[in-house]
Amino acid sequence: MAKQLAFYFDSTACTDCKACVIACKDRSSLPVGVNWRRVYQYVGGSWMPSQYESRTMVPINVFSYSLSIACMHCEKPLCAEICPAKAITKDEQGIVAIDTSKCIGCRYCEWACPYDAPQFHEELGVMTKCDFCKDLLAQGGNPACVDACVMRCLHYGELEELRAKYGSNVEIAPLPRADITLPAFVLTPHKSAQATGEGTGWLDNLPEEL
Amino acid sequence: MNLREWSLVFFTILGQMSVGSFLVLGVAHFFASRKKGVEAADRLSDLALLAIGPVLILGLVASIFHLGNPTNAYRAVANFGQSWLSREILFGVIFAAVGGLYAIMQWRKLGSTAIRVVIGWIAAIVGIALVYSMSKIYMLETQPVWNTLMTPVSFFTTTLLLGGLAVGAAFVANYAYVQRKDPGCADAQCELMRDSIRWIAIGSIVLLGIELLTLPIYLGYLAADGGVGAASIGLMIGKFSWVFIFRLILAFIGAGVFGLFLYQTALSPGREKVMGNLTYAAFVFVLIAEIMGRYLFYATHMQITI
Amino acid sequence: MSDKNYLTEALNETVVSRRSFLKWSAVVGGTASLAGGLHLGLEAVEAAAEAQEDPGKWIMAACWHNCGGRCPNIALVKDGVVVRQKTDDMHPDSPDYPQQRGCARGRSQRQQVFGADRIKYPMKRKNWAPGGGQKELRGKDEWVRITWDEALDIVASELIRIRDTYGQASILTPRFESRLLNAWGGSMSSWGVSSEGAFPLPNALMAGYGNAPNDRMTYRKSRLVVLWGSNPSVSSAGNPAYNYRQAKLAGAKFIFVDPYQNQSSQALADEWIPVRPGTDTALLLGMAYHMITNDLQDQDFLDKYTVGFDRNHMPEGADPKENFKDYVLGTYDGEPKTPEWASKICGTDPMTIRHFAQEVATVKPMVWSSSWAPARTFRGAQYCQAFYTVGWMTGNVGIDGGSVGPSAHSGASYGGSSLIRAGSGGLPGVANPLAGGVSLGYGFSAPENTEFNGMAYEEMWDAVLNGEYHATVRGVIPCNIQMIYVIRGGTGSNSLNQVGGINKGIDAFRKVEFVCTNDIVLSTVSKYADVVLPAQTPWEDPYGGFLGLNVEGLLYYSQITEPLFEAKSEEWMEMELAKRLGLDPNELYPVSEAQVVFNQLAGATVAKMDGSSMEPLVTITAEDIAAFGGDVVGEPQTGRISYQEFKERGLYTVPRAPGDAFEFIANKAFRDDPEANPVRTASGKFEIHCQALADKTNAYGFIELPPVAKYVPPAEGVEETYVDFEGGEKGEYPLQLYTIHYHRRSHSVFNNILQLREAFPQEMLMNPIDAEPRNIKHGDTVLITSRHGKVLRKVSVNPLIVPGVVTLGEGAWVERDDETGIDHAGATNSLNGTQLTGQGEEPWNTCVVQVEKWDGEPVLDDARWPQRIPIKEA
Repeated sequence: MAKQLAFYFDSTACTDCKACVIACKDRSSLPVGVNWRRVYQYVGGSWMPSQYESRTMVPINVFSYSLSIACMHCEKPLCAEICPAKAITKDEQGIVAIDTSKCIGCRYCEWACPYDAPQFHEELGVMTKCDFCKDLLAQGGNPACVDACVMRCLHYGELEELRAKYGSNVEIAPLPRADITLPAFVLTPHKSAQATGEGTGWLDNLPEEL
Repeated sequence: MNLREWSLVFFTILGQMSVGSFLVLGVAHFFASRKKGVEAADRLSDLALLAIGPVLILGLVASIFHLGNPTNAYRAVANFGQSWLSREILFGVIFAAVGGLYAIMQWRKLGSTAIRVVIGWIAAIVGIALVYSMSKIYMLETQPVWNTLMTPVSFFTTTLLLGGLAVGAAFVANYAYVQRKDPGCADAQCELMRDSIRWIAIGSIVLLGIELLTLPIYLGYLAADGGVGAASIGLMIGKFSWVFIFRLILAFIGAGVFGLFLYQTALSPGREKVMGNLTYAAFVFVLIAEIMGRYLFYATHMQITI
Repeated sequence: MSDKNYLTEALNETVVSRRSFLKWSAVVGGTASLAGGLHLGLEAVEAAAEAQEDPGKWIMAACWHNCGGRCPNIALVKDGVVVRQKTDDMHPDSPDYPQQRGCARGRSQRQQVFGADRIKYPMKRKNWAPGGGQKELRGKDEWVRITWDEALDIVASELIRIRDTYGQASILTPRFESRLLNAWGGSMSSWGVSSEGAFPLPNALMAGYGNAPNDRMTYRKSRLVVLWGSNPSVSSAGNPAYNYRQAKLAGAKFIFVDPYQNQSSQALADEWIPVRPGTDTALLLGMAYHMITNDLQDQDFLDKYTVGFDRNHMPEGADPKENFKDYVLGTYDGEPKTPEWASKICGTDPMTIRHFAQEVATVKPMVWSSSWAPARTFRGAQYCQAFYTVGWMTGNVGIDGGSVGPSAHSGASYGGSSLIRAGSGGLPGVANPLAGGVSLGYGFSAPENTEFNGMAYEEMWDAVLNGEYHATVRGVIPCNIQMIYVIRGGTGSNSLNQVGGINKGIDAFRKVEFVCTNDIVLSTVSKYADVVLPAQTPWEDPYGGFLGLNVEGLLYYSQITEPLFEAKSEEWMEMELAKRLGLDPNELYPVSEAQVVFNQLAGATVAKMDGSSMEPLVTITAEDIAAFGGDVVGEPQTGRISYQEFKERGLYTVPRAPGDAFEFIANKAFRDDPEANPVRTASGKFEIHCQALADKTNAYGFIELPPVAKYVPPAEGVEETYVDFEGGEKGEYPLQLYTIHYHRRSHSVFNNILQLREAFPQEMLMNPIDAEPRNIKHGDTVLITSRHGKVLRKVSVNPLIVPGVVTLGEGAWVERDDETGIDHAGATNSLNGTQLTGQGEEPWNTCVVQVEKWDGEPVLDDARWPQRIPIKEA
């Protein structure tokens, strides 16, 4: 079976610091509006008056957790399938990358991706996204985001090895169903994690962050 | 909504209208030749046929505006094997080429009738393939609001509704031209025109019926979906409620009310002036309604995403 | 080049030569793009193609900010331009010996240094004239480029004129002191505490400086870690949160006490105790009540190691009734400080208070730790008193895995003295002749002094406007401030933005005759100035320099680029001004920049691995000294690593392993033998009853502080959100505001960086319970009003914050519309007023506000605001 690189994210250790986001933006000199990596904060819960003191409120299942997501380098990349210019390809390492010299900027891949990975670059007029820092990998290095993570919760490796070690369920809110594109991604869910489709929480990010 | 999404609205509307006009013209021409002969049929439809070309070109030009990097536009057909978008572009180009060839051959009476008929059929089939491809583009698993039967149904409904009324309007304009240029043929042309418009009116009412019947089923399906579907409805009846309401009112008036009067006035001779105005009015109302409807299609879609 | 394409190249490795950077950035002006960033068109592409030849060099850069971190940021320099950065990757990463990884802010520094908004030239206000000209235009005037000579002449002549007309004390140096002015006769100074809130005096007088945390390795032996008011991911960026996580993985339970279930708690907290700002003291008293009435306190520890807990263990001369236990029980004031009593004030459920107290009292060993935030409140000292007292009641002092005391900033999780430090630069200090012979400034602790010239930080603007200030034991004395001088080192000291009462501050800036600053960008204090001098950043320091990380690392940064445009160092500016003021510049700076850095290098020491003593870090040969540059003098020496290696790497971190010689336990000696090793308080023990603290605090003249912890409602605390606290009717300002540290910035630094503005949108946090009745939805723009100002912000409606409380990140640069008086940027000091309390600490976390939905234009995304580019020419 061909190798498939995948990111592994330990959501129990993430503090939403966005060093990964900025490391990626810096590495590729991305402007405002283009975020190849995004950190999503999912929050929920409610408050009720205390039984003992009328002006005191008690938190009920108030929770938050963050997910750092770039591109899932899916096993069934819908973006590559539907790109009219054949600008998106999957290589022998499983990395899905956009050849910006072929992109026509129609943004169809943006409609196809359930993870918001393809990001339109206004100045250049083409779609861009995480390419697993494949040129750094070729030099024996790691993706910029992985080396940046201050809590050491973002890693990468071979998909099946990671799944064997950490499990294969990635249907955790706010992520969508995994059967659409088969994301090559492994996740250790936070203790408050809720299942895809059954989440009682919501995204706390303001739209401009993403 | 921005330049990019407006360009898609106009590309799909104008493209579908072009295909619809071509198909309706083909049918009208067929029945007109049976009734009054090929020459009369040609006089009825040739100019209308030529008018399709510029509309289609306009639509294709509009589509360029939605590209971020138009210098690479020629690459858009590269993924014909897998991507419905590549197929749409290819069919669009072929339809324009073959349809254009047919129009020129018709206009200049090049080649035999038989050959022209074959070319016409090819163009028609490619045109249908074009509209079909257009609808398939939107049938992505990540777009539950688009990924329903409603998309191809509404695309084809638009195709025939706009195509029919556009042809009706073209016939009315053509008749005015014929009256000036060739008064001797006017009566025969008038009869053919009224016949066509009568059927176009019937067709418009039926297609309006389809639009109005499928809409509640579609909305019900969206509501039941919860999540993204319900959010989409929220937009339709919230932020875009006035667009939603006016689009239906205009379509009802244009295709329904005017369509009915159109049928009436087309039944017997003598009311061509009123019939002509009604035709134009119906076309304009329905065109605006369809543009608004397509605008809603883009503005209220909600994607499966994080 | 295989499957790479030219546009991907342009995305990743675009390089612009310095020459074209200068030319281009002048032309493009208004965009954020910068050298090494993205460009359109072939120019970038060609440059990229050329650049393939030059692989570039990784150079250790300075990250010099007051963020609670300080980390290695390494710059890849190609053709004189930084194309990207990385962080520490110099040794394999492990929890025991971790890499020192930097945060989003430091990683954005190349935009800070090379941004299109760098101040390039000396400039003055178009409508300035000696005396001020049109002073009301400060903050909205046009800027005119002038030469260095002209700028320096203006500053010097205004200094002389104003000094001669109004006296030396008419020149205010807000929140800092100037070496130059000190040498020239001094300046009106300022004092107080900002970061640490009310903690400095209690640390000294109650705890005898025995407040440090333990070494991070020992946390892994804790069974419970309480983090009060702490968000280390933001306020102690770098490794502290990662160190805490090791404790968690080793089995420690973490409890966070905070008005907001913050981001650090996501990775660490097992439990969150919600509490209203400014009421932590009440919560602590309620806990103490539970402990005392259930006899859970460690009485042996209290008897042996503390004074003042109960009437039988009072210090000499103290009134026995003034003991902590009787206060909590309500013996004399008839008000037992039960959890129910506490809950009404602090908003924590009474049962939660009881469980929390039970756990804290019985689970050992425990780390009882706080940030300084709860002490940045009005009467913040009462919190410190209560925090220490309850901590000492548990006896978790001087034991492995146990400690009591604040642990914040770069010291969070890092106890013990520095294992590595730079040497002294050797530049002697210059005292401020107007300081009265004491150390005036941050942490000023000599209120008995009657000679000093200077007011509390929170009183600076009032002093300018009203011509008088509180001078501790002297009462109110007059002053006449006519100049605000902010030519200071570094990029911080943005006092107009960072001290309460911005609206008053703007009036003060517009009242004086002259305002001058130096700066790297047009921060608030420069926006409202008359003359601004372009400052160098440490990336431009010719000989590099040293920065301490946490106790385990020393950073030796190198020059990344020649000074940009006409930027100069503060030293150069002061030497030039010295000449114009009739001082000898070489007397002002008797040791050159190069020599200072060399001295720091040569004097750098590192702990021996057996922990016995420090040894020289660097081996320096005679060749190294000759090659250093700047004609430095020194002697060859032997150390642990070679100079070449240290310069190349730019970083030395002390290797650690569990059980090594560096597992410092605070107060261990005192715990083992209190007689032989007393703490440095009056009694030699921890002082729960501390008369020295009360006397010293009261000498400032702002509050009356009792010698034991007592809850007295603070100004702008929860009580003031009510018209009638008992009755429960809410007043004009029904919500509490407290101001968190925010990850976009290090205080006010980095506020201008576009990608940080995008990632961290400066949103206000509000609970749905408060948002709903106001018809406020997530993402709406809201107007926040306090007694002191108004601010517009987008809101994040989420359940993570206590109902009745809202929060906003401190440090955004005020962007005030003079007509409406509304600040669109959300500077929290537009909402905080000026309040005098305690030892002059700044009580930002006690403030009352109202929040309303804004029906006007929504606030534009911060990342889309135009940059402040004062002069748009080449």
